[in-house]
Amino acid sequence: MTPGADLAIFAVSAAAGLLGALAGVGGGILVIPVLTFGFGVDIHLAAGASIVSVIATSSGAAAAYVRDRMTDMRVGMFLELATTTGAVCGALLAAVASPAFLYLLLGSVLLLSAGSQVGRLGEEVPPEVTPSALASRLRLVSSYPDQKLGREVPYSARRIPLGFVLMWIAGLVSGLLGIGSGVLKVLAMDGAMRLPMKVSSATSNFMIGVTAAASAGIYLSRGDVDPQIAAPVALGVLTGAIVGARLLGRVSNRTIRLVFLPVLVAVGLETIGRGLGLAL
Amino acid sequence: MLISLVLAAGVAVSAVLIGIGFATALAIGWHGSLIGAAPASGAPTTDFGNLPARLAHLEPLALTQLGLLTLLATPVARVAASVVGFATEGDHLYVAITFAVLVVLLASLFVLR
Repeated sequence: MTPGADLAIFAVSAAAGLLGALAGVGGGILVIPVLTFGFGVDIHLAAGASIVSVIATSSGAAAAYVRDRMTDMRVGMFLELATTTGAVCGALLAAVASPAFLYLLLGSVLLLSAGSQVGRLGEEVPPEVTPSALASRLRLVSSYPDQKLGREVPYSARRIPLGFVLMWIAGLVSGLLGIGSGVLKVLAMDGAMRLPMKVSSATSNFMIGVTAAASAGIYLSRGDVDPQIAAPVALGVLTGAIVGARLLGRVSNRTIRLVFLPVLVAVGLETIGRGLGLAL
Repeated sequence: MLISLVLAAGVAVSAVLIGIGFATALAIGWHGSLIGAAPASGAPTTDFGNLPARLAHLEPLALTQLGLLTLLATPVARVAASVVGFATEGDHLYVAITFAVLVVLLASLFVLR
């Protein structure tokens, strides 16, 4: 890589980190195509750099989130049980399942859920409800400080079994296809469990780092992590994610949704493209 | 807060190591040595083996690799710190849940290859 190319990779990675920290996703959607098409990087090395990018987004953003109590650690850990077991099942199923059909199915689900996201644009925080017995028992009842609204916003997780199943599927899909797990996590927490958008984004950010760390060893032992590419990516993503995490507290939930929507549509289209055999 | 400390330390240490390793690699090459020793090897940059010896040479590649490994280990350390965090809060249910996540995480790191 020339110094100019390094600088360009750093800049794109900073943008990916910023976007990922705001939307609760890993930024692979931006990093992988730029590396492969923009710089001719081998797809395996690009995927290795993407794993580094996901973990850098997660850890860089989290340093600010945890301090601001935006990440719900209980929700994250409880759902991580579903995601990790789903991911193991996905890895085991990968040999027998038909990826083309799964890509088309996942892509369609993502595009359809964009509609419900548009419907919730007018809702700054979910309506307050009496916590269910299950939410109280699992202590998935909490609040977060909203700098934009200038108050503490209480919330409790709803439809917990549905959220758990969706998270299991998110893990399964990422184990099978290696795509879209951050987007699915935000959808499950925001759409099914009705957590505030900022909490969904921050908690998804935390979870994708843990899930990615589980597979990092495989990438390392395969020789897919090349410091020549991973170093500028890591430095760029960390910078972008730290800035993005600071922004998250100050902007409205509506803004976060407006950032998340195009990411959701882009991942949906890319997934369908893969299902149709297009090299996206 | 233990968790914030683990995160901040992991991010800071990895960023400094990757930053120094990458900047010096641009100056003296990935397989150079900051203390002027002869290059330890010409192994591919994706080879993370023999790290302690190459670190002793202050090889830019080795510094960057140690930084990347620190970054990749940070989420695992964070989950481990959460086990301690929930334990000090006396939340036995979440000590169990978080410990289970940690076990699956370590299993997939070291067993499922």
